Amino acid sequence: MAGQLSVLAAEVPFPPTVEDFYLPSIVPWGAHNDYWFTKITLLMWISVAAIIIFFLVSYRKPKLVPTKKQWIAESIYGFVRNNIAVDMLGKRGINFAPYLTTLFIFILIMNFWAIVPLAQISPNSHIAFPAILAAISYVMFIYIGMKHHGGLKYFKHALIPPAPWFILPLLIPIEFFSTFLVRPFSLAVRLFANMFAGHMLLLVFTLGGFALINANVWFAPFSVVSWAMSIALTFLEFLVICLQAYVFTVLSASYVQGALADEH
Amino acid sequence: MTGQEPPKNPSGNDDPPPPDTGMGMTAVAYLITGMLVWGGVGLLVDHWVGTKGIFAGIGAVVGIGGGVYLIVRRLGA
Repeated sequence: MAGQLSVLAAEVPFPPTVEDFYLPSIVPWGAHNDYWFTKITLLMWISVAAIIIFFLVSYRKPKLVPTKKQWIAESIYGFVRNNIAVDMLGKRGINFAPYLTTLFIFILIMNFWAIVPLAQISPNSHIAFPAILAAISYVMFIYIGMKHHGGLKYFKHALIPPAPWFILPLLIPIEFFSTFLVRPFSLAVRLFANMFAGHMLLLVFTLGGFALINANVWFAPFSVVSWAMSIALTFLEFLVICLQAYVFTVLSASYVQGALADEH
Repeated sequence: MTGQEPPKNPSGNDDPPPPDTGMGMTAVAYLITGMLVWGGVGLLVDHWVGTKGIFAGIGAVVGIGGGVYLIVRRLGA
Protein backbone atom coordinates (compact mmCIF):
# COMPACT_ATOMS: atom_id res chain seq x y z
CA MET A 1 0.00 0.00 0.00
CA ALA A 2 2.68 2.47 1.06
CA GLY A 3 4.86 1.37 -1.87
CA GLN A 4 2.02 1.95 -4.32
CA LEU A 5 1.30 5.33 -2.82
CA SER A 6 4.88 6.52 -3.09
CA VAL A 7 4.97 5.44 -6.73
CA LEU A 8 1.84 7.50 -7.22
CA ALA A 9 3.30 10.35 -5.24
CA ALA A 10 6.37 10.50 -7.43
CA GLU A 11 4.17 11.71 -10.28
CA VAL A 12 2.13 14.11 -8.22
CA PRO A 13 3.11 17.73 -8.76
CA PHE A 14 3.07 19.89 -5.65
CA PRO A 15 2.19 22.66 -5.00
CA PRO A 16 -0.78 22.99 -7.41
CA THR A 17 -0.68 25.92 -9.81
CA VAL A 18 -3.07 27.75 -12.08
CA GLU A 19 -1.88 25.37 -14.80
CA ASP A 20 -3.93 22.66 -13.10
CA PHE A 21 -7.08 24.45 -14.25
CA TYR A 22 -6.13 24.14 -17.92
CA LEU A 23 -7.10 20.60 -18.66
CA PRO A 24 -5.86 18.61 -21.66
CA SER A 25 -7.82 18.59 -24.88
CA ILE A 26 -10.25 15.70 -25.39
CA VAL A 27 -11.13 16.20 -29.05
CA PRO A 28 -8.61 16.05 -30.74
CA TRP A 29 -7.12 13.81 -28.06
CA GLY A 30 -4.10 15.35 -26.32
CA ALA A 31 -3.66 18.17 -28.84
CA HIS A 32 -1.60 21.15 -27.73
CA ASN A 33 -2.92 23.83 -30.02
CA ASP A 34 -6.60 23.01 -30.16
CA TYR A 35 -8.58 23.38 -26.95
CA TRP A 36 -12.17 23.73 -28.15
CA PHE A 37 -13.31 20.58 -26.35
CA THR A 38 -11.98 19.82 -22.88
CA LYS A 39 -13.41 18.37 -19.70
CA ILE A 40 -14.77 21.85 -18.93
CA THR A 41 -16.71 21.92 -22.21
CA LEU A 42 -17.92 18.39 -21.62
CA LEU A 43 -19.16 19.19 -18.11
CA MET A 44 -21.01 22.24 -19.35
CA TRP A 45 -22.73 20.30 -22.11
CA ILE A 46 -23.70 17.58 -19.66
CA SER A 47 -25.11 20.20 -17.27
CA VAL A 48 -27.17 21.88 -19.96
CA ALA A 49 -28.44 18.57 -21.30
CA ALA A 50 -29.26 17.29 -17.82
CA ILE A 51 -31.22 20.41 -16.92
CA ILE A 52 -33.19 20.46 -20.19
CA ILE A 53 -33.97 16.76 -20.10
CA PHE A 54 -34.88 16.77 -16.41
CA PHE A 55 -37.34 19.63 -16.70
CA LEU A 56 -38.83 18.35 -19.96
CA VAL A 57 -39.33 14.85 -18.61
CA SER A 58 -40.70 15.93 -15.26
CA TYR A 59 -43.20 18.27 -16.93
CA ARG A 60 -44.18 16.12 -19.87
CA LYS A 61 -47.40 14.92 -18.28
CA PRO A 62 -48.03 17.22 -15.36
CA LYS A 63 -50.32 15.73 -12.73
CA LEU A 64 -52.41 17.50 -10.16
CA VAL A 65 -50.93 15.18 -7.56
CA PRO A 66 -47.31 15.42 -8.66
CA THR A 67 -45.01 12.50 -9.21
CA LYS A 68 -41.67 12.54 -7.44
CA LYS A 69 -39.81 14.10 -10.39
CA GLN A 70 -42.48 16.71 -10.91
CA TRP A 71 -42.42 17.48 -7.20
CA ILE A 72 -38.66 18.10 -7.29
CA ALA A 73 -38.92 20.32 -10.38
CA GLU A 74 -41.82 22.26 -8.88
CA SER A 75 -39.98 22.66 -5.60
CA ILE A 76 -36.93 24.14 -7.32
CA TYR A 77 -39.03 26.54 -9.33
CA GLY A 78 -41.25 27.33 -6.35
CA PHE A 79 -38.28 27.98 -4.13
CA VAL A 80 -36.74 30.52 -6.51
CA ARG A 81 -40.08 32.11 -7.35
CA ASN A 82 -41.31 32.52 -3.78
CA ASN A 83 -38.10 33.00 -1.85
CA ILE A 84 -36.09 35.04 -4.33
CA ALA A 85 -38.25 36.53 -7.08
CA VAL A 86 -41.40 37.44 -5.17
CA ASP A 87 -39.55 38.25 -1.96
CA MET A 88 -37.38 40.82 -3.66
CA LEU A 89 -39.48 42.07 -6.55
CA GLY A 90 -42.98 41.81 -5.19
CA LYS A 91 -45.76 40.53 -7.43
CA ARG A 92 -43.97 41.38 -10.64
CA GLY A 93 -41.21 39.02 -9.52
CA ILE A 94 -43.31 36.27 -11.12
CA ASN A 95 -42.25 37.63 -14.50
CA PHE A 96 -38.61 37.16 -13.61
CA ALA A 97 -38.99 33.79 -11.90
CA PRO A 98 -38.22 31.74 -15.05
CA TYR A 99 -34.99 33.61 -15.70
CA LEU A 100 -33.92 33.48 -12.07
CA THR A 101 -34.73 29.77 -11.80
CA THR A 102 -32.74 29.01 -14.93
CA LEU A 103 -29.84 31.02 -13.57
CA PHE A 104 -30.03 29.33 -10.17
CA ILE A 105 -30.23 25.76 -11.39
CA PHE A 106 -27.57 26.30 -14.06
CA ILE A 107 -25.07 27.77 -11.60
CA LEU A 108 -25.94 25.13 -9.02
CA ILE A 109 -25.30 22.25 -11.42
CA MET A 110 -22.18 23.86 -12.88
CA ASN A 111 -20.79 24.45 -9.39
CA PHE A 112 -21.73 20.99 -8.30
CA TRP A 113 -19.17 19.42 -10.60
CA ALA A 114 -16.55 20.66 -8.15
CA ILE A 115 -17.35 17.80 -5.77
CA VAL A 116 -18.67 15.12 -8.09
CA PRO A 117 -16.13 12.25 -8.00
CA LEU A 118 -14.10 11.99 -11.23
CA ALA A 119 -15.30 15.38 -12.46
CA GLN A 120 -14.09 17.42 -9.48
CA ILE A 121 -13.65 20.70 -11.22
CA SER A 122 -16.33 23.28 -11.78
CA PRO A 123 -16.53 25.03 -15.15
CA ASN A 124 -17.25 28.14 -13.08
CA SER A 125 -13.66 28.08 -11.87
CA HIS A 126 -12.86 29.61 -15.26
CA ILE A 127 -13.77 33.30 -15.28
CA ALA A 128 -15.40 33.05 -18.73
CA PHE A 129 -18.53 31.30 -17.46
CA PRO A 130 -19.35 33.62 -14.53
CA ALA A 131 -18.43 36.59 -16.72
CA ILE A 132 -21.00 35.69 -19.36
CA LEU A 133 -23.65 35.02 -16.72
CA ALA A 134 -22.90 38.36 -15.08
CA ALA A 135 -23.02 40.08 -18.47
CA ILE A 136 -26.48 38.64 -19.11
CA SER A 137 -27.76 39.89 -15.75
CA TYR A 138 -26.06 43.25 -16.32
CA VAL A 139 -27.56 43.84 -19.75
CA MET A 140 -30.91 42.62 -18.47
CA PHE A 141 -31.18 44.95 -15.51
CA ILE A 142 -30.14 47.94 -17.60
CA TYR A 143 -32.65 46.99 -20.29
CA ILE A 144 -35.40 46.51 -17.70
CA GLY A 145 -34.55 49.86 -16.14
CA MET A 146 -34.62 51.64 -19.49
CA LYS A 147 -37.91 50.01 -20.34
CA HIS A 148 -39.45 50.86 -16.98
CA HIS A 149 -38.26 54.45 -16.71
CA GLY A 150 -38.09 55.19 -20.41
CA GLY A 151 -34.71 55.34 -22.15
CA LEU A 152 -32.20 57.79 -20.77
CA LYS A 153 -34.44 58.68 -17.84
CA TYR A 154 -33.27 55.43 -16.27
CA PHE A 155 -29.69 56.69 -16.18
CA LYS A 156 -30.85 59.95 -14.70
CA HIS A 157 -32.73 57.97 -12.07
CA ALA A 158 -29.79 55.65 -11.42
CA LEU A 159 -27.04 58.25 -11.37
CA ILE A 160 -28.61 61.27 -9.73
CA PRO A 161 -29.62 60.66 -6.13
CA PRO A 162 -32.07 62.93 -4.35
CA ALA A 163 -29.60 65.41 -2.91
CA PRO A 164 -28.79 69.11 -2.99
CA TRP A 165 -27.01 70.14 -6.19
CA PHE A 166 -23.68 71.02 -4.59
CA ILE A 167 -23.06 67.45 -3.35
CA LEU A 168 -24.00 65.88 -6.68
CA PRO A 169 -20.52 66.11 -8.25
CA LEU A 170 -19.28 64.08 -5.30
CA LEU A 171 -22.04 61.49 -5.49
CA ILE A 172 -22.51 60.88 -9.21
CA PRO A 173 -19.09 59.21 -9.74
CA ILE A 174 -19.76 56.94 -6.76
CA GLU A 175 -23.16 55.99 -8.17
CA PHE A 176 -21.68 55.37 -11.59
CA PHE A 177 -18.94 53.14 -10.24
CA SER A 178 -21.09 51.15 -7.87
CA THR A 179 -23.96 50.61 -10.29
CA PHE A 180 -22.38 50.24 -13.69
CA LEU A 181 -18.82 49.07 -13.06
CA VAL A 182 -18.61 47.29 -9.72
CA ARG A 183 -21.83 45.28 -10.06
CA PRO A 184 -21.03 43.10 -13.08
CA PHE A 185 -17.43 42.77 -11.97
CA SER A 186 -18.21 41.69 -8.41
CA LEU A 187 -20.97 39.38 -9.61
CA ALA A 188 -18.59 37.51 -11.91
CA VAL A 189 -15.56 37.56 -9.64
CA ARG A 190 -17.45 36.40 -6.54
CA LEU A 191 -18.62 33.22 -8.23
CA PHE A 192 -15.38 32.61 -10.08
CA ALA A 193 -13.14 33.21 -7.06
CA ASN A 194 -15.20 30.94 -4.82
CA MET A 195 -15.08 28.06 -7.25
CA PHE A 196 -11.43 28.66 -8.08
CA ALA A 197 -10.39 28.80 -4.45
CA GLY A 198 -12.47 25.76 -3.60
CA HIS A 199 -10.80 23.69 -6.29
CA MET A 200 -7.39 24.98 -5.27
CA LEU A 201 -8.03 24.11 -1.63
CA LEU A 202 -9.04 20.55 -2.47
CA LEU A 203 -5.97 20.22 -4.69
CA VAL A 204 -3.66 21.46 -1.94
CA PHE A 205 -4.92 18.98 0.63
CA THR A 206 -5.24 16.01 -1.72
CA LEU A 207 -1.90 16.50 -3.44
CA GLY A 208 -0.39 17.61 -0.15
CA GLY A 209 -1.14 14.16 1.26
CA PHE A 210 0.92 12.60 -1.50
CA ALA A 211 3.67 15.15 -1.09
CA LEU A 212 3.87 14.40 2.64
CA ILE A 213 4.04 10.66 2.14
CA ASN A 214 6.72 11.19 -0.45
CA ALA A 215 8.85 13.56 1.59
CA ASN A 216 9.73 11.62 4.69
CA VAL A 217 8.63 8.48 6.51
CA TRP A 218 7.84 10.54 9.61
CA PHE A 219 5.48 12.77 7.69
CA ALA A 220 3.46 9.84 6.34
CA PRO A 221 0.86 9.80 9.18
CA PHE A 222 0.12 13.44 8.48
CA SER A 223 -0.85 12.64 4.93
CA VAL A 224 -3.85 10.82 6.40
CA VAL A 225 -4.72 14.01 8.24
CA SER A 226 -4.38 15.91 4.99
CA TRP A 227 -6.77 13.57 3.19
CA ALA A 228 -9.24 13.65 6.05
CA MET A 229 -9.08 17.41 5.75
CA SER A 230 -9.79 17.24 2.02
CA ILE A 231 -12.89 15.15 2.74
CA ALA A 232 -14.05 17.68 5.31
CA LEU A 233 -13.40 20.49 2.85
CA THR A 234 -15.48 18.69 0.25
CA PHE A 235 -18.46 19.13 2.57
CA LEU A 236 -17.55 22.77 3.00
CA GLU A 237 -17.44 23.02 -0.79
CA PHE A 238 -20.97 21.71 -0.94
CA LEU A 239 -22.05 24.59 1.27
CA VAL A 240 -20.19 27.11 -0.87
CA ILE A 241 -21.70 25.65 -4.05
CA CYS A 242 -25.27 26.12 -2.88
CA LEU A 243 -24.56 29.47 -1.27
CA GLN A 244 -22.91 30.96 -4.35
CA ALA A 245 -25.70 29.81 -6.66
CA TYR A 246 -28.16 31.43 -4.26
CA VAL A 247 -26.14 34.64 -3.85
CA PHE A 248 -25.73 35.11 -7.61
CA THR A 249 -29.47 34.71 -8.12
CA VAL A 250 -30.40 36.96 -5.22
CA LEU A 251 -28.07 39.71 -6.39
CA SER A 252 -29.39 39.49 -9.95
CA ALA A 253 -32.90 39.89 -8.55
CA SER A 254 -31.73 42.75 -6.35
CA TYR A 255 -30.26 44.59 -9.35
CA VAL A 256 -33.49 44.17 -11.28
CA GLN A 257 -35.32 45.47 -8.23
CA GLY A 258 -33.05 48.50 -8.15
CA ALA A 259 -33.74 49.15 -11.83
CA LEU A 260 -37.49 48.93 -11.28
CA ALA A 261 -37.56 50.98 -8.07
CA ASP A 262 -39.31 54.31 -8.13
CA GLU A 263 -38.29 57.39 -6.24
CA HIS A 264 -39.14 57.28 -2.58
CA MET B 1 -41.04 22.49 0.31
CA THR B 2 -44.55 21.31 -0.31
CA GLY B 3 -45.79 24.72 0.74
CA GLN B 4 -44.63 26.47 -2.42
CA GLU B 5 -48.02 27.69 -3.47
CA PRO B 6 -48.25 30.33 -6.13
CA PRO B 7 -48.82 33.78 -4.69
CA LYS B 8 -52.39 34.94 -4.99
CA ASN B 9 -53.28 37.32 -7.77
CA PRO B 10 -50.14 36.91 -9.89
CA SER B 11 -48.84 39.54 -12.32
CA GLY B 12 -50.47 42.36 -10.43
CA ASN B 13 -48.07 45.22 -10.42
CA ASP B 14 -46.74 47.05 -7.44
CA ASP B 15 -48.92 46.20 -4.49
CA PRO B 16 -46.80 45.90 -1.35
CA PRO B 17 -43.26 47.24 -1.38
CA PRO B 18 -41.05 44.15 -1.22
CA PRO B 19 -38.63 43.76 1.68
CA ASP B 20 -35.26 44.50 0.14
CA THR B 21 -32.83 41.70 0.86
CA GLY B 22 -30.10 43.10 -1.36
CA MET B 23 -29.72 46.21 0.79
CA GLY B 24 -26.68 45.07 2.74
CA MET B 25 -24.71 44.38 -0.39
CA THR B 26 -25.70 47.72 -1.90
CA ALA B 27 -24.61 49.55 1.24
CA VAL B 28 -21.23 47.84 1.31
CA ALA B 29 -20.79 48.56 -2.40
CA TYR B 30 -21.47 52.26 -1.81
CA LEU B 31 -18.94 52.47 1.01
CA ILE B 32 -16.19 50.68 -0.88
CA THR B 33 -16.73 52.39 -4.22
CA GLY B 34 -16.97 55.78 -2.50
CA MET B 35 -13.58 55.22 -0.95
CA LEU B 36 -12.03 53.79 -4.14
CA VAL B 37 -13.35 56.42 -6.54
CA TRP B 38 -12.40 59.52 -4.57
CA GLY B 39 -9.30 57.89 -3.11
CA GLY B 40 -8.27 57.15 -6.70
CA VAL B 41 -8.95 60.72 -7.76
CA GLY B 42 -6.88 61.85 -4.77
CA LEU B 43 -4.06 59.56 -5.84
CA LEU B 44 -4.08 61.14 -9.30
CA VAL B 45 -3.98 64.58 -7.74
CA ASP B 46 -1.06 63.42 -5.60
CA HIS B 47 0.80 62.34 -8.71
CA TRP B 48 0.05 65.61 -10.40
CA VAL B 49 0.96 67.89 -7.49
CA GLY B 50 3.81 65.69 -6.27
CA THR B 51 2.61 65.11 -2.72
CA LYS B 52 2.94 61.72 -1.07
CA GLY B 53 -0.60 60.63 -0.47
CA ILE B 54 -2.27 63.42 1.44
CA PHE B 55 -4.87 63.92 -1.28
CA ALA B 56 -5.50 60.19 -1.53
CA GLY B 57 -6.24 60.19 2.19
CA ILE B 58 -8.53 63.20 1.94
CA GLY B 59 -10.21 61.65 -1.10
CA ALA B 60 -10.82 58.34 0.70
CA VAL B 61 -12.39 60.11 3.68
CA VAL B 62 -14.53 62.33 1.46
CA GLY B 63 -15.53 59.29 -0.61
CA ILE B 64 -16.63 57.34 2.48
CA GLY B 65 -18.59 60.40 3.53
CA GLY B 66 -20.29 60.44 0.14
CA GLY B 67 -20.96 56.71 0.42
CA VAL B 68 -22.58 57.12 3.82
CA TYR B 69 -24.66 60.02 2.51
CA LEU B 70 -25.78 57.91 -0.45
CA ILE B 71 -26.75 55.02 1.81
CA VAL B 72 -28.85 57.37 3.92
CA ARG B 73 -30.54 58.92 0.91
CA ARG B 74 -31.05 55.78 -1.16
CA LEU B 75 -31.63 53.12 1.47
CA GLY B 76 -32.82 55.08 4.47
CA ALA B 77 -36.54 55.08 5.11
